[in-house]
Amino acid sequence: MSSLDKGKSTVYFGVGINSKKAHGKIRFYNENTHPVSQNEAFSSPTVKETRSAESEKARFFKALEKTVEKTKKTANLARTEIGEDEAQIFEIHAMLLEDEDFLESVVSALESGLSAERAVEKSAEDFYLQLRALGDEYLSARASDIKDIAGGLLLELGSKAENCEIEDDGQYILVSEDLTPSQTVRLDKNKILGFITFSGTPTSHASILAKAMGIPAVVGAQKIPTEYDGKYCLLDASSGKITVAPSESEKREFLKMCNQEKRIDTEHDKYMRSLLNTPAVTRSGHKVMIYANIGAKNEVDGALLNGAEGIGLYRSELSYLSRRAQPTEDELYSEYREVVEKMQGRRVIIRTLDVGADKQAPYLGIEKEENPSLGFRGVRFCLENKNMFLIQLRAILRASAHGRVGIMIPMISTLDELRRTRLLIKEAMDELLLRGQGYDKSIELGIMIETPASAIMADAFAKEVDFFSVGTNDLLQYTLAADRQNSKVSHLTEEAEAVLRLIKNAAEAIHENDGWIGVCGEMAADLRYTQELVSIGVDELSVSPPYLLGIRQKVCDSK
Amino acid sequence: MKELSFEIKDKIGLHARPAGVLATNAKNFECEITVKCGDKQANAKRLLSLMSLGAVGGSTLHFTFDGKDEEKALEKISEVLNEQLG
Repeated sequence: MSSLDKGKSTVYFGVGINSKKAHGKIRFYNENTHPVSQNEAFSSPTVKETRSAESEKARFFKALEKTVEKTKKTANLARTEIGEDEAQIFEIHAMLLEDEDFLESVVSALESGLSAERAVEKSAEDFYLQLRALGDEYLSARASDIKDIAGGLLLELGSKAENCEIEDDGQYILVSEDLTPSQTVRLDKNKILGFITFSGTPTSHASILAKAMGIPAVVGAQKIPTEYDGKYCLLDASSGKITVAPSESEKREFLKMCNQEKRIDTEHDKYMRSLLNTPAVTRSGHKVMIYANIGAKNEVDGALLNGAEGIGLYRSELSYLSRRAQPTEDELYSEYREVVEKMQGRRVIIRTLDVGADKQAPYLGIEKEENPSLGFRGVRFCLENKNMFLIQLRAILRASAHGRVGIMIPMISTLDELRRTRLLIKEAMDELLLRGQGYDKSIELGIMIETPASAIMADAFAKEVDFFSVGTNDLLQYTLAADRQNSKVSHLTEEAEAVLRLIKNAAEAIHENDGWIGVCGEMAADLRYTQELVSIGVDELSVSPPYLLGIRQKVCDSK
Repeated sequence: MKELSFEIKDKIGLHARPAGVLATNAKNFECEITVKCGDKQANAKRLLSLMSLGAVGGSTLHFTFDGKDEEKALEKISEVLNEQLG
């Protein structure tokens, strides 16, 4: 054993934001030099007490103009270096800088005789505290955006250093109380191996940026004492574990993992691209259809770009909820037709209107319910609003003349509901025949499995429909009798075993009847479940376009 | 005066980006647009004001539109809400 093994390492935990790893010495950035919430800039020699309110105003507005300009440049930098979503963070900053509430607050502080620096600090501090006070983790994460824009202004006013740079010639892991988005985007990738913050949150813009930039980072970490400045440490951004002064064996183990990942990483991009045209077949030869979930026609391009073999779930609610009155048959038809044509003969499964519970529009006239998720929603609503339902069914049928369409019915729990729906489809077809409008006579019909009843009765349903798609979010919620929005019980919906058994039993019954079963809920995109889902015989996985390639890869890697 | 109620379905709530899109769109109208969420009230044309509502997923936003282009504003805002937070 080497002598280092005797020295005990110290372990700290935080929230890891990506699956990257880093190792190297840690260096502390002294957050106290950050002027927001500190009043030091006040004593800055550039501020003279004798300045008039008018000249301070002029200084402020000049600094504002420059800061806005610079922020927009940063947005462009983020756009070219990282991506559009990340660029928008800085567009928001530009908006915040010119926000009237912020400007009014600064101007009134200036008029009360404060220096430009102090006025910016005071206003930023006020809004910072206001957002922090909201308590909500995500919104209070926005407080650091306020810090960031104030920092930019103070920089222009000449009282703040720009980047969190440390005098150090080597590479290091940066440790800081928090990082602002612009500090993050300017991190020198040649020097910064990764970073650790104590008060950052995984949903902060800095974390989102770091994730996009591929920087290993752990945020919201337990406080590491500053006397560890310069110590060697292991940073694991997947588990959130930080090991300061690791033992030789800890280090060896960690480096071994790093090397494995590096190999995957460099080959990663090429590999992902090559997957586009690779069929999703497991190692044991089970073929899985990889379909996309979309909610609007403009998402089709993204789906195709990522190799969607079909649309497994086209949520039709948006066309209803975004209007103030019911859409007409022609409006719906033209939307559906556009999607169907773009998919060029690939399957497009349109889920009929699924409103009620959390999806409401005033004109739908759904009354307030004690228990909306067990209430008047999905097909239950449609069967009571037959005219509205018939309009949609006719629009879907007409679109089926232009490609390969499937109709999928949400929230089915009894055979009677299915049979009544089928009668309405027949009625819609008859109307089209009368009008002389075409449709696909062998259009496929399927149901969502969202209620435990439909899962248990799958054998009976399978004799009457062509396909099934499991909405795991609702199925989990109904099976475990736990509301996913209720943080006290939502952990129960992480327990997937019962739902997996329901799916397995349903899949067996469906296959016996020559039908097929897919999964379109969140579980379909969760790589932790891919192996299990394909093993129990799921034929199709339908996920949002960005997850398509990852799922395809996972399926190919599965047994 | 026109009114609109909207329940935020997006889990995270009225965060910076949708708030930014909302404010940008609201600014295009002359009418006054106010938003209430719980006991807080905001001017829909102002980003910080919107963010300070602390509107999380599941909460309901109550809009009032007052002015000559209120009808058009309601239509546009409703569309934006469904796109951003639906």
